[in-house]
Amino acid sequence: MTDLRPITALGTVTPGYASFGALDLRENAGLALASLALRRGTLEPTPFGLTLPEPGRWVAWQGVAALCTGPDQWMIEAEGRAELDFSAELKQVAPGCSVTEQTDGWVAIEIVSRAGTGLEALLSKLVNIDLANFGPGGATRTGLEHMSCFVIRRGDVHAAVLGARSSAGSLWHALETAAKRLEEKVA
Amino acid sequence: MLIPHPLLGLRDAQEFTYLGDARLIDRPDPTAPDAEAAFCDYVFLRDNQAGAHRELWFHEQGDRSWLVVTRDTVTHEVLCAELARDVALSRARCSK
Repeated sequence: MTDLRPITALGTVTPGYASFGALDLRENAGLALASLALRRGTLEPTPFGLTLPEPGRWVAWQGVAALCTGPDQWMIEAEGRAELDFSAELKQVAPGCSVTEQTDGWVAIEIVSRAGTGLEALLSKLVNIDLANFGPGGATRTGLEHMSCFVIRRGDVHAAVLGARSSAGSLWHALETAAKRLEEKVA
Repeated sequence: MLIPHPLLGLRDAQEFTYLGDARLIDRPDPTAPDAEAAFCDYVFLRDNQAGAHRELWFHEQGDRSWLVVTRDTVTHEVLCAELARDVALSRARCSK
Protein backbone atom coordinates (compact mmCIF):
# COMPACT_ATOMS: atom_id res chain seq x y z
CA MET A 1 0.00 0.00 0.00
CA THR A 2 1.16 3.51 -0.77
CA ASP A 3 2.71 5.19 2.21
CA LEU A 4 0.74 8.45 2.47
CA ARG A 5 1.98 11.07 4.87
CA PRO A 6 -0.12 14.12 5.64
CA ILE A 7 1.45 17.55 5.10
CA THR A 8 0.30 20.92 6.34
CA ALA A 9 -0.93 23.78 4.16
CA LEU A 10 2.64 25.07 3.93
CA GLY A 11 3.74 21.71 2.52
CA THR A 12 5.75 20.58 5.53
CA VAL A 13 5.35 17.70 7.96
CA THR A 14 5.24 19.93 11.01
CA PRO A 15 3.26 23.20 11.09
CA GLY A 16 5.15 26.37 10.18
CA TYR A 17 6.63 28.44 12.98
CA ALA A 18 8.71 31.61 12.97
CA SER A 19 9.60 34.20 15.58
CA PHE A 20 10.56 37.83 14.97
CA GLY A 21 11.32 39.90 18.04
CA ALA A 22 8.26 39.69 20.23
CA LEU A 23 6.03 38.33 17.45
CA ASP A 24 5.42 34.62 16.94
CA LEU A 25 3.87 33.29 13.74
CA ARG A 26 2.46 29.80 13.96
CA GLU A 27 0.53 27.77 11.42
CA ASN A 28 -2.54 26.27 13.09
CA ALA A 29 -2.88 22.92 11.33
CA GLY A 30 -5.37 21.53 13.85
CA LEU A 31 -8.11 24.08 13.30
CA ALA A 32 -11.31 22.58 11.89
CA LEU A 33 -13.51 24.93 9.87
CA ALA A 34 -17.05 24.70 8.61
CA SER A 35 -19.27 27.38 7.14
CA LEU A 36 -22.81 27.88 8.32
CA ALA A 37 -25.46 29.75 6.33
CA LEU A 38 -29.07 30.39 7.24
CA ARG A 39 -31.68 29.43 4.73
CA ARG A 40 -34.58 31.76 4.15
CA GLY A 41 -37.09 31.50 6.97
CA THR A 42 -34.91 29.43 9.32
CA LEU A 43 -34.17 30.53 12.86
CA GLU A 44 -30.64 31.38 13.92
CA PRO A 45 -29.21 28.34 15.73
CA THR A 46 -26.90 28.40 18.77
CA PRO A 47 -24.44 25.62 17.77
CA PHE A 48 -22.42 24.20 20.72
CA GLY A 49 -23.86 27.00 22.87
CA LEU A 50 -22.40 29.76 20.67
CA THR A 51 -24.41 32.92 20.17
CA LEU A 52 -23.62 33.68 16.54
CA PRO A 53 -21.87 37.06 16.29
CA GLU A 54 -22.89 40.27 14.53
CA PRO A 55 -21.13 41.35 11.31
CA GLY A 56 -17.49 42.19 12.00
CA ARG A 57 -17.35 40.14 15.22
CA TRP A 58 -15.88 36.86 16.50
CA VAL A 59 -16.94 34.87 19.58
CA ALA A 60 -15.33 31.85 21.25
CA TRP A 61 -16.84 29.41 23.70
CA GLN A 62 -15.42 26.12 25.02
CA GLY A 63 -13.11 25.16 22.16
CA VAL A 64 -15.32 26.40 19.33
CA ALA A 65 -15.57 29.87 17.87
CA ALA A 66 -17.59 31.67 15.21
CA LEU A 67 -16.96 34.66 13.01
CA CYS A 68 -19.43 36.46 10.85
CA THR A 69 -18.51 36.16 7.15
CA GLY A 70 -21.48 37.93 5.60
CA PRO A 71 -25.20 38.53 6.07
CA ASP A 72 -26.62 35.34 7.64
CA GLN A 73 -23.32 33.50 7.15
CA TRP A 74 -20.68 32.41 9.62
CA MET A 75 -17.47 30.39 9.76
CA ILE A 76 -17.29 28.05 12.74
CA GLU A 77 -13.84 27.11 14.08
CA ALA A 78 -12.98 24.16 16.31
CA GLU A 79 -9.53 24.01 17.86
CA GLY A 80 -7.66 20.71 17.38
CA ARG A 81 -10.44 18.95 15.49
CA ALA A 82 -9.14 19.14 11.89
CA GLU A 83 -8.79 15.34 11.75
CA LEU A 84 -12.43 14.78 12.74
CA ASP A 85 -15.60 15.20 10.75
CA PHE A 86 -16.44 18.55 12.31
CA SER A 87 -18.97 19.64 9.68
CA ALA A 88 -21.11 16.55 10.44
CA GLU A 89 -21.11 17.50 14.13
CA LEU A 90 -22.08 21.06 13.26
CA LYS A 91 -24.84 19.91 10.93
CA GLN A 92 -26.43 18.04 13.83
CA VAL A 93 -26.59 21.11 16.05
CA ALA A 94 -27.68 23.51 13.29
CA PRO A 95 -30.87 21.95 11.91
CA GLY A 96 -32.18 23.45 8.69
CA CYS A 97 -28.98 25.39 7.98
CA SER A 98 -26.50 24.94 5.14
CA VAL A 99 -23.24 23.56 6.51
CA THR A 100 -20.14 23.10 4.33
CA GLU A 101 -16.82 21.56 5.28
CA GLN A 102 -14.05 24.17 4.91
CA THR A 103 -11.07 22.77 6.85
CA ASP A 104 -8.83 21.86 3.93
CA GLY A 105 -9.66 24.98 1.94
CA TRP A 106 -7.85 27.31 4.30
CA VAL A 107 -4.62 27.97 6.10
CA ALA A 108 -4.80 29.48 9.58
CA ILE A 109 -1.85 31.49 10.85
CA GLU A 110 -1.83 32.57 14.48
CA ILE A 111 0.08 35.72 15.40
CA VAL A 112 0.95 36.18 19.06
CA SER A 113 2.90 39.01 20.61
CA ARG A 114 4.88 37.72 23.62
CA ALA A 115 5.71 41.24 24.76
CA GLY A 116 2.16 42.48 24.44
CA THR A 117 3.02 45.06 21.79
CA GLY A 118 3.70 45.05 18.07
CA LEU A 119 0.54 43.28 16.99
CA GLU A 120 -1.22 46.44 15.83
CA ALA A 121 1.97 47.68 14.17
CA LEU A 122 2.11 44.43 12.20
CA LEU A 123 -1.58 44.52 11.23
CA SER A 124 -1.30 48.14 10.16
CA LYS A 125 1.41 47.14 7.68
CA LEU A 126 -0.72 44.34 6.27
CA VAL A 127 -4.41 45.19 6.18
CA ASN A 128 -6.33 48.33 5.35
CA ILE A 129 -8.87 48.29 8.17
CA ASP A 130 -9.59 50.70 10.99
CA LEU A 131 -7.52 49.19 13.80
CA ALA A 132 -8.95 51.62 16.37
CA ASN A 133 -12.22 49.71 16.01
CA PHE A 134 -10.60 46.28 15.80
CA GLY A 135 -10.19 45.29 19.42
CA PRO A 136 -10.50 41.75 20.80
CA GLY A 137 -13.54 40.03 19.32
CA GLY A 138 -13.22 41.80 15.96
CA ALA A 139 -13.12 39.77 12.75
CA THR A 140 -13.44 40.79 9.15
CA ARG A 141 -12.60 39.73 5.64
CA THR A 142 -10.27 42.05 3.81
CA GLY A 143 -7.50 42.13 1.24
CA LEU A 144 -3.98 41.27 2.36
CA GLU A 145 -1.42 41.71 -0.42
CA HIS A 146 -4.25 41.14 -2.94
CA MET A 147 -5.28 37.91 -1.21
CA SER A 148 -8.72 37.78 0.35
CA CYS A 149 -8.29 36.78 4.02
CA PHE A 150 -10.21 36.68 7.26
CA VAL A 151 -8.46 38.61 10.00
CA ILE A 152 -9.51 37.74 13.54
CA ARG A 153 -8.54 39.56 16.71
CA ARG A 154 -8.65 36.71 19.23
CA GLY A 155 -7.33 38.79 22.10
CA ASP A 156 -5.21 41.78 23.05
CA VAL A 157 -1.98 40.06 22.03
CA HIS A 158 -3.37 37.42 19.68
CA ALA A 159 -4.63 37.68 16.11
CA ALA A 160 -5.18 35.11 13.38
CA VAL A 161 -5.31 35.24 9.60
CA LEU A 162 -7.27 32.70 7.56
CA GLY A 163 -6.28 32.61 3.91
CA ALA A 164 -6.83 30.34 0.93
CA ARG A 165 -4.79 27.16 1.33
CA SER A 166 -3.63 27.41 -2.28
CA SER A 167 -1.84 30.67 -1.47
CA ALA A 168 -0.59 29.59 1.97
CA GLY A 169 3.04 30.09 0.97
CA SER A 170 2.43 33.64 -0.31
CA LEU A 171 0.47 34.53 2.82
CA TRP A 172 3.20 33.16 5.08
CA HIS A 173 5.78 35.10 3.10
CA ALA A 174 3.77 38.33 3.46
CA LEU A 175 3.40 37.90 7.23
CA GLU A 176 7.00 36.83 7.69
CA THR A 177 8.35 39.76 5.66
CA ALA A 178 6.24 42.33 7.54
CA ALA A 179 7.18 40.87 10.94
CA LYS A 180 10.85 40.76 9.99
CA ARG A 181 10.85 44.41 8.90
CA LEU A 182 9.23 45.41 12.18
CA GLU A 183 11.90 43.53 14.10
CA GLU A 184 14.65 45.25 12.08
CA LYS A 185 13.06 48.64 12.71
CA VAL A 186 12.98 48.06 16.49
CA ALA A 187 16.50 46.66 16.64
CA MET B 1 -12.11 56.46 -1.64
CA LEU B 2 -13.98 54.99 1.31
CA ILE B 3 -17.34 53.26 0.98
CA PRO B 4 -19.59 53.32 4.08
CA HIS B 5 -20.63 49.67 4.19
CA PRO B 6 -23.95 49.45 6.04
CA LEU B 7 -22.76 46.49 8.14
CA LEU B 8 -18.99 46.87 8.35
CA GLY B 9 -18.44 50.63 8.42
CA LEU B 10 -15.98 52.56 6.24
CA ARG B 11 -14.07 50.28 3.90
CA ASP B 12 -11.51 50.99 1.22
CA ALA B 13 -12.94 51.08 -2.32
CA GLN B 14 -10.08 48.76 -3.37
CA GLU B 15 -11.94 45.90 -1.67
CA PHE B 16 -14.89 46.39 -4.03
CA THR B 17 -15.53 45.75 -7.69
CA TYR B 18 -17.87 47.94 -9.70
CA LEU B 19 -20.71 46.60 -11.82
CA GLY B 20 -22.67 49.62 -13.05
CA ASP B 21 -25.97 51.43 -12.84
CA ALA B 22 -28.25 50.18 -10.03
CA ARG B 23 -31.10 50.02 -12.55
CA LEU B 24 -29.70 46.57 -13.42
CA ILE B 25 -31.70 45.34 -10.39
CA ASP B 26 -34.92 46.08 -12.30
CA ARG B 27 -34.71 43.26 -14.80
CA PRO B 28 -37.73 43.35 -17.15
CA ASP B 29 -40.26 40.54 -17.22
CA PRO B 30 -39.24 38.25 -20.13
CA THR B 31 -42.83 37.07 -20.58
CA ALA B 32 -44.27 40.56 -21.08
CA PRO B 33 -45.46 41.40 -24.62
CA ASP B 34 -42.95 44.28 -24.93
CA ALA B 35 -40.07 42.18 -23.53
CA GLU B 36 -37.80 42.65 -26.55
CA ALA B 37 -37.92 46.45 -26.43
CA ALA B 38 -37.69 46.42 -22.62
CA PHE B 39 -34.59 44.21 -22.69
CA CYS B 40 -33.02 46.36 -25.40
CA ASP B 41 -33.35 49.37 -23.10
CA TYR B 42 -32.24 47.34 -20.07
CA VAL B 43 -29.07 46.08 -21.71
CA PHE B 44 -27.97 49.08 -23.78
CA LEU B 45 -29.42 52.32 -22.40
CA ARG B 46 -27.92 54.13 -19.43
CA ASP B 47 -28.41 57.63 -18.09
CA ASN B 48 -25.12 59.48 -17.99
CA GLN B 49 -26.00 62.18 -15.52
CA ALA B 50 -23.78 64.63 -13.71
CA GLY B 51 -24.68 64.41 -10.04
CA ALA B 52 -26.08 61.74 -7.75
CA HIS B 53 -25.82 58.32 -9.35
CA ARG B 54 -26.93 54.99 -7.92
CA GLU B 55 -24.62 52.12 -8.82
CA LEU B 56 -23.93 48.51 -7.89
CA TRP B 57 -20.70 47.60 -6.09
CA PHE B 58 -19.61 44.12 -4.98
CA HIS B 59 -17.63 43.74 -1.75
CA GLU B 60 -15.35 41.14 -3.29
CA GLN B 61 -12.53 41.19 -0.74
CA GLY B 62 -14.98 41.54 2.12
CA ASP B 63 -18.30 40.01 3.07
CA ARG B 64 -19.23 39.36 -0.59
CA SER B 65 -22.35 41.50 -0.39
CA TRP B 66 -23.76 43.60 -3.21
CA LEU B 67 -24.26 47.25 -2.35
CA VAL B 68 -26.20 50.07 -3.96
CA VAL B 69 -23.86 53.04 -3.58
CA THR B 70 -25.11 56.55 -4.29
CA ARG B 71 -22.20 58.60 -5.57
CA ASP B 72 -21.94 62.14 -6.91
CA THR B 73 -20.32 61.76 -10.32
CA VAL B 74 -19.14 65.39 -10.24
CA THR B 75 -17.36 65.40 -6.87
CA HIS B 76 -16.96 61.61 -6.32
CA GLU B 77 -18.53 62.10 -2.91
CA VAL B 78 -20.19 58.90 -1.70
CA LEU B 79 -23.59 59.94 -0.42
CA CYS B 80 -24.91 56.63 0.92
CA ALA B 81 -24.63 52.87 0.63
CA GLU B 82 -27.34 50.26 1.13
CA LEU B 83 -27.39 46.48 0.84
CA ALA B 84 -28.68 45.63 -2.64
CA ARG B 85 -30.66 42.81 -1.03
CA ASP B 86 -32.60 45.34 1.06
CA VAL B 87 -33.19 47.55 -1.97
CA ALA B 88 -34.50 44.61 -4.01
CA LEU B 89 -36.65 43.32 -1.14
CA SER B 90 -38.16 46.75 -0.57
CA ARG B 91 -39.32 46.70 -4.19
CA ALA B 92 -40.84 43.25 -3.59
CA ARG B 93 -38.72 41.82 -6.37
CA CYS B 94 -37.86 38.73 -4.32
CA SER B 95 -40.94 38.46 -2.16
CA LYS B 96 -40.56 34.75 -1.36
